[in-house]
Amino acid sequence: MNIIACVKQVFDLQQVRIKKETREPIMENIPLTIGDIDKNALEEGVRLIEQHGGKVTVVSAGSEDLEETIKEGLAMGADEAVLVIDSSLDSAESAVSAVVLAKTVKKIGEFDLILLGEGSSDNYSGQVGPRMAEILDLPLVSFVKSLKVDGHRIQAVRSLDDCMEVVEVDMPAIVMVMSEINEARIPAVTQILKAGRKPKQVLSLDEIEVDPAEMETKVETLSNLAPEQDRKQVIFKEDADTAAADLFNALQSEGFIGR
Amino acid sequence: MEFKFTKEQELIQKTAREFAQKRIEPIMFQIDEHNELPDYIPKEIGELGLAGIPHPEEYGGSGADYVSYVLALEQIGRYSSGAATTITGNNLSINAIKMFGTEEQKANWLPELCQGKKCSTFVFTEPATGSDMKMLTCKAKLDGDEWVLNGTKRFATNAERPGPMTVFAVDDQSGYPTAFLFEKHCPGYTISEPWDKIGYRGAHTYDVYLKDVRIPKEDVLGEIGKGFMILQQNIGFGKISISSLALGRAQGALEESIKYAKERVQKGRPIAKFPTLQSRLADMAAKVEACRWLLYRLGYMASNAKTNEDRIQLAQQSALTKMFVTPTSLDVIRDAVQIHGSYGLMKGYQVELFYRDAVVAEIIEGVLDVQKILVGSSLVG
Repeated sequence: MNIIACVKQVFDLQQVRIKKETREPIMENIPLTIGDIDKNALEEGVRLIEQHGGKVTVVSAGSEDLEETIKEGLAMGADEAVLVIDSSLDSAESAVSAVVLAKTVKKIGEFDLILLGEGSSDNYSGQVGPRMAEILDLPLVSFVKSLKVDGHRIQAVRSLDDCMEVVEVDMPAIVMVMSEINEARIPAVTQILKAGRKPKQVLSLDEIEVDPAEMETKVETLSNLAPEQDRKQVIFKEDADTAAADLFNALQSEGFIGR
Repeated sequence: MEFKFTKEQELIQKTAREFAQKRIEPIMFQIDEHNELPDYIPKEIGELGLAGIPHPEEYGGSGADYVSYVLALEQIGRYSSGAATTITGNNLSINAIKMFGTEEQKANWLPELCQGKKCSTFVFTEPATGSDMKMLTCKAKLDGDEWVLNGTKRFATNAERPGPMTVFAVDDQSGYPTAFLFEKHCPGYTISEPWDKIGYRGAHTYDVYLKDVRIPKEDVLGEIGKGFMILQQNIGFGKISISSLALGRAQGALEESIKYAKERVQKGRPIAKFPTLQSRLADMAAKVEACRWLLYRLGYMASNAKTNEDRIQLAQQSALTKMFVTPTSLDVIRDAVQIHGSYGLMKGYQVELFYRDAVVAEIIEGVLDVQKILVGSSLVG
């Protein structure tokens, strides 16, 4: 079974601080990593291979730092990496990423299953999977919280707003996983050190035959600010019983309790 | 000169941090209160390759370097020094066996130690003997093809767990200390109840009684009568461990202080807004950074210590680092307790636990005054 796990290089969000005056994120010296839900997708691929045999290829597109960042995915159990590296991919929007990843997958050729996270850790648009499905003309299963493989067929449980849906589909297919599908493994030290020695293919945009017109950005980012957290600063100064009742009423009127 | 880690070093640091946050932080107070480390912690440490970070793959180690070792211990020490002793205790014996063991001893002991499947004990202290090797009373007598060991060893870490023991005793052939390497829990080997320590809880410390313990003649580590040299060259590595944990603890105290100061409101505003408190935090941060870079440099030196001369130089620099890092870490934690006020004295607050561990760190692997003597004497020649 050949599995492709698509992952995105993002800033380590745990280490991003916010400039208080402007609400802008401070991105200097923030290490790059693989997105959290992408790790769940990769983990699912590695687990399926451990059960059914085969190989996991981790695929990603980004700036030249990606060659280092991808070592984390290889340490987590991917057998090989195929990367598209170009400085223009550093802040590529979903439509561009989908084209580049789809063309990379075509270049790889044979595969049974493509796994992605439900959304990237930074933009979380959730568009790359559906766009790839359209370009590659493949069935797409999204919001997947558990996955089984039986021969050439997969069975997936989709977590929807008010129900669970069980679907089956023949491979090849694209599956977008949710974070609760698994707990991504912590890579062992020995695997980290072996990661750099695993096969890695680096491609250019020309090699995957991307048309410059397909690289045109259609979305303009107007601002990227942390949400405002205005505190109401209500103080209940009455005796404890009255204050408790007032607090309850205030929380209820804001819709936090008693809904 | 470039202050930059390799991607592998960053990832090893991340592995240690994730493991510590997910598996150790939730039970850090439980380990301390019950003075007990759950068996799954050493097992998972072994599975993640954290028990043998700087040792070669051919001996079952992970094949990384001492900078990675420092980075990993810093992360684990951030939450529990007791849990980290699974790594640091083994590291002492692994180094000694790696440097001075025969190929047979290396093959026999190193893989299981590097993979955390066994816990070693490395002990020279006796009831009346601290850092002075010349005062050893533990004796080894050659009887045909066997050594017969008699004596009492004090403050032996992990003496209850299965694995090898490196023990120092004066042999009757040379009249000098010799290192012996054998499996614990052999006939004649008994241990006391664990000492009830102030800190480093979860890592048990015992007295070990050796009464007519008979071991094969070949179970000598290194040369007969050369125990002092083994100790001298190996002890530097032990001080790296203790200092790395002290760094993690100081970083933890700083983080906890910042968090507390932002939450604690006095006179209508968080105490983090008070200039005096910010000044105290600034002092703490500067001290943590000073410790950090002294240690990372020491990790680099340890990775490149190939010759006996290198290792003697490393031992001096390890003493200097421990002499600075462990009391500085205690200073930072004392500041953290001050910031927490009375809460800092209470169980269930990390800084209270750190304070007790920091007191231990100043003492073990050689008290401060001894470190100063080592450093001072090396300066004047």
